[in-house]
Amino acid sequence: MKEITYLEAIRESMSEEMRKDEDVFIMGEDIGIYGGAFGLTNGMIEEFGPERVRNTPISEAAISGCAVGAAMTGMRPILEIQFSDFIMIAMDNIVNQAAKSRYMFGGKAQVPVVIRLPGGSGAGFAAQHSQSLEAWMAHVPGLKVVQPSNAYDAKGLMKAAIRDNNPVLFYEHKLLYNTKGEVPEEEYEIPLGQADIKKEGSDITIVATAVMVNRALEAAAELEKEGISVEVIDPRTLVPLDTETILASVKKTSRVLVVYEAVKRGGYGAEIASMIAESDVFDYLDAPIRRLGGLETPIPYNPVLEKAAVPQVEDIVEECKKLMNK
Amino acid sequence: MASEVVMPKLGATMEEGTIVSWLVQVGEEVEEGDPIAEIQTDKIVMELEAEADGVLLKTLHDAGATVKVHEVVAYLGEEGESVEGLGNDLSNLAEAAEDETEQPMAETPAQNGQQTRTGEKIRRTPAARKLAEDNHVDLSEVTGSGPLGRIHKADVESFMEANEKRVTPLAKKIANDQGIDYKEIDGTGMRGKVVKNDVIGRPVAQQEVAREAKRVPFKGMRKVIADRISESAYTAPHVTLTSEIDMTECVTLRGKLLPVIEKVEGMRVSYNDILLKATAFALKQNPALNVSLEGDEIVYHPEVHIGMAVAVPEGLVVPVLRNVDEKGLATITRETKTIGQKARDGKLTMDDMQGSTFSVSNLGMYAVDGFTPIINSPNSAILGVGRIQKKSVVVNDELAIRSMMTLSLSFDHRIIDGAPAAAFLTELKEVLENPFKLMI
Repeated sequence: MKEITYLEAIRESMSEEMRKDEDVFIMGEDIGIYGGAFGLTNGMIEEFGPERVRNTPISEAAISGCAVGAAMTGMRPILEIQFSDFIMIAMDNIVNQAAKSRYMFGGKAQVPVVIRLPGGSGAGFAAQHSQSLEAWMAHVPGLKVVQPSNAYDAKGLMKAAIRDNNPVLFYEHKLLYNTKGEVPEEEYEIPLGQADIKKEGSDITIVATAVMVNRALEAAAELEKEGISVEVIDPRTLVPLDTETILASVKKTSRVLVVYEAVKRGGYGAEIASMIAESDVFDYLDAPIRRLGGLETPIPYNPVLEKAAVPQVEDIVEECKKLMNK
Repeated sequence: MASEVVMPKLGATMEEGTIVSWLVQVGEEVEEGDPIAEIQTDKIVMELEAEADGVLLKTLHDAGATVKVHEVVAYLGEEGESVEGLGNDLSNLAEAAEDETEQPMAETPAQNGQQTRTGEKIRRTPAARKLAEDNHVDLSEVTGSGPLGRIHKADVESFMEANEKRVTPLAKKIANDQGIDYKEIDGTGMRGKVVKNDVIGRPVAQQEVAREAKRVPFKGMRKVIADRISESAYTAPHVTLTSEIDMTECVTLRGKLLPVIEKVEGMRVSYNDILLKATAFALKQNPALNVSLEGDEIVYHPEVHIGMAVAVPEGLVVPVLRNVDEKGLATITRETKTIGQKARDGKLTMDDMQGSTFSVSNLGMYAVDGFTPIINSPNSAILGVGRIQKKSVVVNDELAIRSMMTLSLSFDHRIIDGAPAAAFLTELKEVLENPFKLMI
């Protein structure tokens, strides 16, 4: 075991795959000598050279088309979109081309592209650089959506994403880049579609994604002191979604709180909540399914307001107490 | 600032009302004019309406409680407003009084006065519902601890725990060995615990299940009727006179009037309508029967208002037809049909049922000839009507087949003597046998 950051874990995962598979290459804006906006690709151009670490023009439309085209013709590109917000410009290439090609060509075409998307708020980047729009992507059949919450998951999931023959949207949370976690020395992969129980508990199931997993764990520790036992589940991938693990937990605890940073209205947490309500586990619910999500506002630049716009630890604690009628 | 909701005075003689049910839960919002509760008064049920917008903060009485008019029954106010101190003294007093006179309705007190039920719909979580179903628990008996009285799984569990039969291990073993259901046994141990001696000597594996009698709370309209009937029967010395009436002429008259009145009112005239008309006529001729005893005065009523007993599913109501003596048969037909329907629909108002000076109870649709009706106080007399039946009778020294009917007149012998009562009944017989006299 070694302790590395979330950011290093992603770099390590990409580098390991690039060493093994010549078809894997990375591309993005300023990812060469500059090392990317967050320094994630630091040192990669030195190891793999400018052919496999490709600096691109600042045009998400162009570079996403390029990556999707490269994937269709046999390469396994990893495209970095500097901020996940900029995916808007690349929408047609992702939604209309990447997501549809395999289906429309009866399986003869494959689009093994990974699109890395630094997302989320909390780093003071204001409204156009802080969004959580993963629900848009999860809505489109043909796309897989990944949201790791720690270094171990990030590395293992990136492996699976690179090896997957379908387009994978890989959402990285900016606030998590410098969080450290234990990662095995040896090779491992985390299959897409496998949720992880981050903490076991018996009173409430919290299904949380990305940075909210960490906040849920903090909240759980606090609630433990008051005798409320919280189970924290991280789906890790939104598509495919591991419904089995979530439902088994809800059946056990009979109460659910879904926590996500994206705007609550229409966020992916709504999908999780509906899935639970429609399932056989309905009979075991002992309280309404609750969601905690972002406010319906652009993310403010003011750091106090920025914090207030998305769920914090104390919000989760309070919501859990409500669920327990306390 | 919380505003008071008081028991309304719905009629001049109303002194108290019974809260049949709360239509709004504590904590629920109401708008001005929304019904808050159902109130039962002297034989009718009416809705108590909110006089302002707000949230029902507190109720001082549970459903079933009888409250004097103008007394506070609940408080309306702003959401989240403190209810501390509101009506505390009053509710304590009322509860104390209730304890003395009536058994409290619920064994488990509703928390914070919250009721779990809205009509038949019970707020409960899916998990609570499933647990209750699996264990045959009636959720209407469970008190919910959640918001607005919602029943959670834990509430069902604690209910089951509280209702679990207490049994000693030895008694349980003996019971199981002998196939006895110890849950059916009333234990003689501490707090009803089933002990060894309760089990020993029980017939082994008794299969017969006792069929339970249906038990209905003696309250509401039933109670009102009971009180009034008792009061009348035990204070007014009743005497009942009977007389057999030859209704043949009336049968002929009704046959002729049927198409005529149907054309005017679109309704069919009944014997009851003719009888009411005749009774009003006879009352006018015999004012000694149209009286009431009020305190130390005998009141001779100038009007003839006849109460008409109508059976409704919950009991009996007596709506009043006014100034019957001044009305024609077509009008009487319309009014009896209208008010009868209103009674059966439960839509009678206080005014519809007040002010009768005499009453008629008609059992003619049943196989009843004569009976001894109890006076509808504050009236002093009541006419009981039997069925019309063809009989062989002697007319002009010859046997004839005539339509006969028995009338039974009960009167309060304190203020009506036998002679005037007999005179009234004779007058009534006379006019029914010669219905042309109604033309006078």
